[in-house]
Amino acid sequence: MKQQSKFSAEQNSETEHQAQSQQQREFASPEELLRFDAAQTSVPSAVAERLQRSTETISPPPNPSWWRRFFGGTNS
Amino acid sequence: MRTLVNQPLPERETADEAGNGLEPSAFADLYTEHSRPVYYLALRLLGDPEKAQDATHDVFLKAFRKMDQFRGEASWRTWIYRIAINHCRNLQLSWHGRHVFSNADEMVWENAAAQTDSPLRVLETKELGLRIQKTLDGLSDEYRLLLLLVADQELSYEQIAALTEQSSDSVRGKLHRARKAFAVLFEKTA
Repeated sequence: MKQQSKFSAEQNSETEHQAQSQQQREFASPEELLRFDAAQTSVPSAVAERLQRSTETISPPPNPSWWRRFFGGTNS
Repeated sequence: MRTLVNQPLPERETADEAGNGLEPSAFADLYTEHSRPVYYLALRLLGDPEKAQDATHDVFLKAFRKMDQFRGEASWRTWIYRIAINHCRNLQLSWHGRHVFSNADEMVWENAAAQTDSPLRVLETKELGLRIQKTLDGLSDEYRLLLLLVADQELSYEQIAALTEQSSDSVRGKLHRARKAFAVLFEKTA
């Protein structure tokens, strides 16, 4: 049983290694690398939700339509 | 009164248009258009996702309060970046004990073996963010900021120069050294 587990782990490791090799990439410059990294990075939705609450406390309630664009009509 | 709900935020408003003419929906456009680069800049300058979230919130809240002060002399992107850079700088200044590289440190990169025109090879993208952060953390604040700004294709060298308060030639020269420094450090994180 232990041998099977070990074999499985080795297989998994090999599969992971192959997957990693397939992901090899080259970037011509640091900025290209940073651009790629930025494209993989999304802003957590919590920021917009928090911003909505914050703006409501410092100004008259804004037109709900501009927040509906973020939250799909769930302007509370 | 014109409605901006379904229109992209104009890049170069005149002073009159940028003042009272802006309806709240313009702020939504501002957020949609620029929140990712602002968040990314904060993330890589501060090195912490939670701090980056806080910073992004605070930056856009400042922008919300100051939207009527936007005069159209700069693009929206550079305007919001200026707020973000100042905000992150203030945060960094308030953190005591942070290592600051001296010019002597930067001289190390001048003699480094890495070539700036060599491609950066990445075997896997899974841990790429960590490698990039580690690399950026090893650079001076100025190099880090310049590389992050030049990575934004919406910014020209002139805009980067304005944001970092130096000449375009100076930006170009420093970027050359910053790229080299980044390449050296990035290799070490492999």
